[in-house]
Amino acid sequence: MRGIVFDIIEFAVHDGPGLRTTVFLKGCPLRCSWCHNPEGLHPAPQILTSPAGERLAGRVWEASELAALLNRQGDLLRPNGGGVTFSGGEPLAQYEFLLAVLARLDHLDVVLDTSGYALPEVYAEVVSRCALIYQDLKLVDPAAHVRWTGADNAWILANIAQLPRLGVPFVLRVPLVPTVTDTPLNLRAIARLADGLDGLLRVDLLPYHRAAGGKYRACGMDFVPDYPEDAPLNLDLSPFDDLGVPVRLAGESYDAPL
Amino acid sequence: MPLSERLSAMREAVRAGAHHHYRHDDTPDIAAEAAARGLTWAQRAALRTVRMCAGEPPIIEPDQRIVFTRTQRRVPPLYTPDDWAAFRATLDGDPSGEINNICADWGAVLDQGLLARRAQALATRARLAADPAAVEFLEAAVATIDSVLDLAARYAAEARRLGRNDLAAALDEAPANRPTSFHAALQALRLLQAVVWLSGHMHVGLGRLDQYLWPYLAADLAAGRLDWPGAEELLAEFFISLNRDSDLYPGVQVGDNGQSVMLGGVDRAGREAVNPLTWAALRVAGAVAMIDPKINLRVTPDTDHELLREASRLTRLGLGFPQYANDDQVIPGLVAFGYDWEDARDYTVAACWEFIIPGRGMEIVNVGAVSFPAAADAAIRAGLAAGDAGFQSILDRCEAEIRAQVHALIEPERRLILPPAPYFSVLMDGPLATGRDLSAGLKYNNFGLHGAGCAAGADALQAIHELVYDQRTLAPGDLLAALDADFEGYESLRTRLRETVTKVGNNDDDADAQLVWLFERFAAACAAEGDNGRGGRIRPGTGTAMFYVWLARGRAGLREPVVGATADGRHVGDLFGANLAPTPGVTVRGPLSTLQTFAKIPYDQIVNGGPVTLELADNVFRGDEALDKVALLVRAFAQVGCQQMQINTVNLATLEDAQRHPEQHRHLIVRVWGWSGYFVELDPVYQEHVMSRHRHGL
Ligand code: SF4
Repeated sequence: MRGIVFDIIEFAVHDGPGLRTTVFLKGCPLRCSWCHNPEGLHPAPQILTSPAGERLAGRVWEASELAALLNRQGDLLRPNGGGVTFSGGEPLAQYEFLLAVLARLDHLDVVLDTSGYALPEVYAEVVSRCALIYQDLKLVDPAAHVRWTGADNAWILANIAQLPRLGVPFVLRVPLVPTVTDTPLNLRAIARLADGLDGLLRVDLLPYHRAAGGKYRACGMDFVPDYPEDAPLNLDLSPFDDLGVPVRLAGESYDAPL
Repeated sequence: MPLSERLSAMREAVRAGAHHHYRHDDTPDIAAEAAARGLTWAQRAALRTVRMCAGEPPIIEPDQRIVFTRTQRRVPPLYTPDDWAAFRATLDGDPSGEINNICADWGAVLDQGLLARRAQALATRARLAADPAAVEFLEAAVATIDSVLDLAARYAAEARRLGRNDLAAALDEAPANRPTSFHAALQALRLLQAVVWLSGHMHVGLGRLDQYLWPYLAADLAAGRLDWPGAEELLAEFFISLNRDSDLYPGVQVGDNGQSVMLGGVDRAGREAVNPLTWAALRVAGAVAMIDPKINLRVTPDTDHELLREASRLTRLGLGFPQYANDDQVIPGLVAFGYDWEDARDYTVAACWEFIIPGRGMEIVNVGAVSFPAAADAAIRAGLAAGDAGFQSILDRCEAEIRAQVHALIEPERRLILPPAPYFSVLMDGPLATGRDLSAGLKYNNFGLHGAGCAAGADALQAIHELVYDQRTLAPGDLLAALDADFEGYESLRTRLRETVTKVGNNDDDADAQLVWLFERFAAACAAEGDNGRGGRIRPGTGTAMFYVWLARGRAGLREPVVGATADGRHVGDLFGANLAPTPGVTVRGPLSTLQTFAKIPYDQIVNGGPVTLELADNVFRGDEALDKVALLVRAFAQVGCQQMQINTVNLATLEDAQRHPEQHRHLIVRVWGWSGYFVELDPVYQEHVMSRHRHGL
């Protein structure tokens, strides 16, 4: 069983607990306007060109080969509360490959970092083999979701709804994009949706960082944000606090270096 | 802990060199006086310490609680050039520069006080009255003790004159006697160490500061004489004081001065030795955030997570320290090399990373460097030109090259004569009891050799192994022509060598096998040298010091071989990795694989030290859990079985801006090879290397 991976990052510090290696699977069915990983969108390997030269993004891996690589790090990952995170792109877009890798992992805790855009039965099968889910939630309103991500969110909402039954703890991760996802309306809708979901650890709000336009150029694409990139973010957490939904603003409490 | 207003101002003033106006070049003419009095070498060395101490007027600034300001910029020579040439001709051997890069037995000196050491010297003198060499040494040693006591007395008198009675009391009691307070202990340490510098020695480390100072602090705390904020304030002032003369301390670059401190670990009996001062020293080093002292921390897989977290705060500040040493590797390694368990457990580091025993080691840890790339390259060029039929022949040649390099470096050193060091001898364990100067040797007298460019050497071997002998897809003639042309016109071959051959740093067993082989052969070559002429042997290590530059670019007077283009696809002049690191520009998977690679080195044979050097992007430190993650990475370093590690974190954009606007980045600190320095004070070649380590991919 083969899959396409566009990056493997060791000591990934923002992708789950403990010492962790993140595998980025290539290809995503969504087209979020703010996507920071343009090289993860297209399912096939592609050559990126930048002033620093050319680089091939995407390599074919045998599931057994990838699992062996990850297992070789197990002695460092396991005793340090960590494991492997599968991200993307959208890892579920290659769910057969992903399942084949998961089946070969040697007692490594897996975090799945997903948009949730997958058939509910596929989603359930993969999720039930993971230790923790980082479930994205961008927009609750279906029309807005189509407008900004190019995809309908019915599967996503259905998959979030089945998470409590699957019994795997999860974090809802909301990219805060100015005027798009950070609206009081959207945040209230997310808070209501999250309220009372069994297994929810917290909601992570991820403040927008200006996308690397250079990355898009390297992929032969244009980055044309159709939202005001510089608009101040709405960081009002009260919709969550009001309902008692645990919420965290990622990237907080960083004491700047000298 | 934030610095108090008083100390913030002091730190600024030290950085700005506000005390430099006290300095002058009017140094005593030791050579002339000594010639007139017909003094011996040892007597001259003592005279220099005496005159240098006498030449320091007490300077006490109103805001200072820990005093000593050096005013004499230069340390004078002991002989005129002519007298030296004449004297040297009488020596049966090659005299080295002043003794440096060892660690005094600070704890014992503080604990006993100089008066007790003086009494011991006199007792030994009486016992060895018939031994003129011993008498001469002991009298020289006593003279230096008296000069330090006189310096302390003059400072005490000045303090009293200024109404600074607490300071006067501290100087009255120590270093003459055992200090009765933390303050007096720090003050005594400041004076004792400053006089080592004044005596012409370099790279004067401070050893296991948290161990030997804790009893004084603990007594103050228990008696209610001092509280923790007060203690940290004193320690911070002491740390700042160590930076006053960093610009006067010679090294390859400013900052390379060896004022290292080792924290944590176990005591001589093997009991856990982390104490509250270990923690405080980490906190204070972060608050002071200057290049001195350079913090080292001993760890094991079981070290308290919170302690590692505290240490990670320093890393986050971008200080380039702490450097970590893994007790589980270092101590058994030293024992396997012949150290007693008690001493091995008491290890600290010399200037950068070389493991030494405070008070008991007269080791010369930096005799030179073996160039693995040069050994591999010579073997490859000769073997391919001769049509060697198998890879083993290349390895055999490489082993011979390593042996030849080791031998060429060690052979002349067998004739080494160390200059007498009567004052430094006072601070060591043994000389005052035996009547023999430190320069005659102590309990441990080994030489250290760096093993430099290991990744590039292993990568070159692996390239030949894979492409020439295994796949047989590269014709030897093509490679030789490409090397001679520095790959001009052979770009596609270079790309192949660079990108398709497996490389050290990725936990790849094939490439790593070459790495392990190089170190095993290096260890065997060192062992084959036997005794070093001083009752010690040759310790192989994994450091590079500045050799990652010199071995690639050459330098006047360099004994080590310089290499051209190499079979790993490296251009002429491209720098090697510093210490244990993948070759710059090589794609590596990440820090875990890098640690796994370097854990394969046989550290029971490779004991001269030299850290795995990890570079972390500063965005690692975004978010709450960053400190926990870095702490886990340190634990992983210990678990996987590496020996030593340093972590650098820096923002490339900041460095680029610092090159453009140095005046705006005067305080920006970076790790260079085994020490941290101010970026703007480095030569461009070292700035460039620091920056290249952080330029990865797109
Ligand atoms: S789901 Fe993620 S990877 Fe896919 S387009 Fe959106 S942001 Fe990019």
